Amino acid sequence: MTETTPAAESPQPAERTPAGESMLTATELTHRYGELSVLQSVDVSVPAGAVTAVIGPNGTGKTTLLRILLGQLSPTEGTVEYTGPTVDRPIGYLPQQPSFRPQFTAAETLEFYGALLGREVDTHAALDRVGLADAADRPVEALSGGMRRLLGIAQSLVGEPPVVVFDEPASGLDPSMSTRAFEILADRAAAGTAIVVSSHDLGLVERFADRVLVVHDGEIAARGSPAELMAETETESLWDVYDAVVHSQRGEQ
Amino acid sequence: MSSARTQFRALFVRELRTVVRTRVYLLVALGVWALVVGLVATGGGGESGYLPAVVDLLLPLELLVPAVAIAVGYRSVVADLERGELAVLESYDVPAWVYVAAIYAGRALALSAMLVGGLLVVAVLIALSAGPDTGIYATHTGVDSPVLFGRFVVLTVIYGLAMLGVVVLVSVVAQSTRTALALAAGGVVLVVAGGDALVLLGLSEEWLAVDSLFGALATVPNSAYRGLVFETVVGVASGVDSGYAAARWSALGLLGWLAGSLGLAVGLLGRRQR
Repeated sequence: MTETTPAAESPQPAERTPAGESMLTATELTHRYGELSVLQSVDVSVPAGAVTAVIGPNGTGKTTLLRILLGQLSPTEGTVEYTGPTVDRPIGYLPQQPSFRPQFTAAETLEFYGALLGREVDTHAALDRVGLADAADRPVEALSGGMRRLLGIAQSLVGEPPVVVFDEPASGLDPSMSTRAFEILADRAAAGTAIVVSSHDLGLVERFADRVLVVHDGEIAARGSPAELMAETETESLWDVYDAVVHSQRGEQ
Repeated sequence: MSSARTQFRALFVRELRTVVRTRVYLLVALGVWALVVGLVATGGGGESGYLPAVVDLLLPLELLVPAVAIAVGYRSVVADLERGELAVLESYDVPAWVYVAAIYAGRALALSAMLVGGLLVVAVLIALSAGPDTGIYATHTGVDSPVLFGRFVVLTVIYGLAMLGVVVLVSVVAQSTRTALALAAGGVVLVVAGGDALVLLGLSEEWLAVDSLFGALATVPNSAYRGLVFETVVGVASGVDSGYAAARWSALGLLGWLAGSLGLAVGLLGRRQR
C-alpha cells in the first residue's frame, strides 16, 4: 500500500471554483435515439459546493442526461461546457454497477486508477473515507456488493475531480450504507466539489441534496431545493413532490 | 494532463498482473508446453534434430497458435466492457488507442512467453539428445542448426501476435465474453480453414490465376506463416532453390492482419465510446 500526504492529491485551494458558481453548464440539450426523443431542450447548471440530485421515473432520460454531462455521449443538439479548474481529471464517475478486476485488492485498484493520472494515491485515506480501510488488502472478488459500491465511490474521487457524477450510489446498499454513501457525497460538496447524483431514494435525496431536478418525459419538470419544491407543490416530502409532478403530468397527457 | 505514456504504463502493468494472477493462463501455458513437447516426442523425437522438429510442429502450430491467442485475448476488452470499467476509464481521459495498445501489449507478452517457453523446452531437449551436427551455428544450405529453429520460434511468435490482434478486435466488437469466445473461435476457423479453402477454390474455378497464388496465400495468416517457415527455415536447410512462398508478401500479410485488426479495434472502440 502506498501512502502519501492527502495534499499531494488535492488541487491547490486557489484552483477551487467558489461555491455556487457553475462548474458544468448544459444548454438546450436534446438527444434522440433514431426517431425516439429522450431529452428535449434541457438546460442544466451544476454548481460547485452543492449536491445536485437528478430524480425521475425509469426511462425518462436521467442516465442519458448523466452520460451527456460526463462527455460519454454527444447530444443530438445543445452543448455542455465545463468551466471548472484545469485538472487531470475534471469529472469523476461512479457507474450504476461498479465492478473491478477480481485479481486485485481494493488498495491496488485505487493505486491503478491513481497511476492513470501519474499519481500515488493515499489508499489508506481514500479507503478510510468510504469506510473500507480494513478491507484494503482484500481482493475485489472477496468484497460484498455494497463494499464494491463503496470502492466505486472511492474510485470516483481519485484525483479529487472538481465534478463527480454518481449514478445510483445507494442502489443495493443497506440503509446504513446508503446513508454513508450520501454522507460522503455531502462531505465532498462541503469541500467545494460539484456533485451530481441520480437516485430513486427520495428520502436520502431530500436529506442531502441542495438542488433537485425532476426529469420526466425528457424534460426538467421541476427544479429547486427540496424545500422550494415542497413549498411550490404545497407538499410535505420530496416523495409527494415527485408524485405531484410526475403524476400531474401523466394526468395532463 | 497525464501523458499517454503514463496511462499506457498503468494499463500495461495491470494487464500483466491480471495474466500472472489468473490461474487459467498458467494452465494454458503448461498445456501448450506439454503439447509441443508431446508432438515432437511422438514425431521424430528430439534426437532427430531441429528441422525434423519444425516439420513435426508446423501444421499443429497453425491451429494451436490461434487457439492460444483466443485463450489469452478473448476476454481482454469485453470483460472491461461488461464490468463497466471502460466507462470509468473514459473519466480518466484514456484515448482508445492507448487502451488498445496497452491491452494488446500485455496480452502479447503473455502469449509470447507461452509460445517461446514451449519451443525453448523443445530446443533444449533437442540440444541434449540430437546428433553432434545439430549444434553447428549456421544458416547456410544443408545444415540443421539451432539458428534455424530460432527463426522458427520468431516466426511462430509473429504469427501468434497477428492472430492475437484479430482476437482483440473480436473482443472489442463482442457484447459479452460468451459472444467474444464464439466469435473468436468462429472467426479464426473461418480465416485459418476458410482462407486456404478459398484459395484452392479460386484455383479450381479459375478466378484466381496461378501466378497470383503466392500473393493470395500471403493474405491468409496461417498460409503466410507456413510459407515463411518453408522459405526461411526448411528451405534454407534443404538446399533446394527458394520458391515455396513470397516471403516478403507473407510477412506483409501477417503485419497487415495485425495492423488492420488493431487499427479497426481502436476505431470501433473510439466510436463505441461516443
